Amino acid sequence: MELNNIEQLLESYFEGTTSLADEQILRNYFATDLVDDSLKQYSSLFNAMTVSASETSTTTFTVPVTEKKPFNKWWLSIAASIVIVLGVAGFVFSENSLTQEEQKALAALKQSKEAMLLLSNNLQKGTSQLQLVETFSKTKNKFLK
Amino acid sequence: MKQQEFLETVLPIKDKLFRIAKRLLVSRDEADDAVQEVFLKLWKGKEKIKQYRSAEAFAITMTKNYCLDRLKSKQASNLKIVHSNYEASNNLEKQLEAADGVARVFEIMDTLPEQQKLILHLRDVEQLDFSEIAKMLDLNETAVRVTLSRARKKVRDQLIKQNNYGIK
Repeated sequence: MELNNIEQLLESYFEGTTSLADEQILRNYFATDLVDDSLKQYSSLFNAMTVSASETSTTTFTVPVTEKKPFNKWWLSIAASIVIVLGVAGFVFSENSLTQEEQKALAALKQSKEAMLLLSNNLQKGTSQLQLVETFSKTKNKFLK
Repeated sequence: MKQQEFLETVLPIKDKLFRIAKRLLVSRDEADDAVQEVFLKLWKGKEKIKQYRSAEAFAITMTKNYCLDRLKSKQASNLKIVHSNYEASNNLEKQLEAADGVARVFEIMDTLPEQQKLILHLRDVEQLDFSEIAKMLDLNETAVRVTLSRARKKVRDQLIKQNNYGIK
């Protein structure tokens, strides 16, 4: 690489106007032993950048394993709500339908009502017959006076 | 995002994040802690990573913010970060020759203001585009260029000053 060219690149390097490719040329130039004496003072600058870029970290990173599966929670909440819905529904429906004892009692009530009705009908018949007896006794009194 | 997928996205940029953290925090241990912390944050918010166009830019911004916070709290509690790791950069033979000069450059870089330090690092070490740097730091490209130029000149001036001091 021509000295002139390098000097020009250096100048624009310090102005912040070099491209990445230009800067690579500079780094490469200063990494060789052929650096011109007038530019020797800059070689440590460019070599420092190269050295710095080769530094590596020695720590290893491990991913923490305490990961919870979100699926499980989602599934559980659905199951729980189904149980609650079923419970409430069962309660509501069981209130509407009667127990066996109640049904028996209702049937007995109906039967006894019918029995009473029958009895009262017969009683009514009996009293209408009694009316006949009353008429008979009225006519008998007419004659016997 | 599964564990495997996450590690594949994030592990390749581990060293990059480490270097940025070390540039800002100076200490190697602090930088390791910072990377660990940033990874943990990334893992917790891993679903969000997909929303960002570049996971790398996102992670770098996060690292920068974390380190600056760290520095702030250090200053507040009046603690100075102890560092003793200029020799830590290893094993290229070339480095040994220039080691002295290189260490001096690092020392000078440490004295720069945070923003200059960071931009100089992102550009000259990580070799990122101006547009990328601008986005990461929430600046415009011109501001990045100006700051970069200022940082480079400052390092140069310091270097020359020290060199002359040795000679004269």
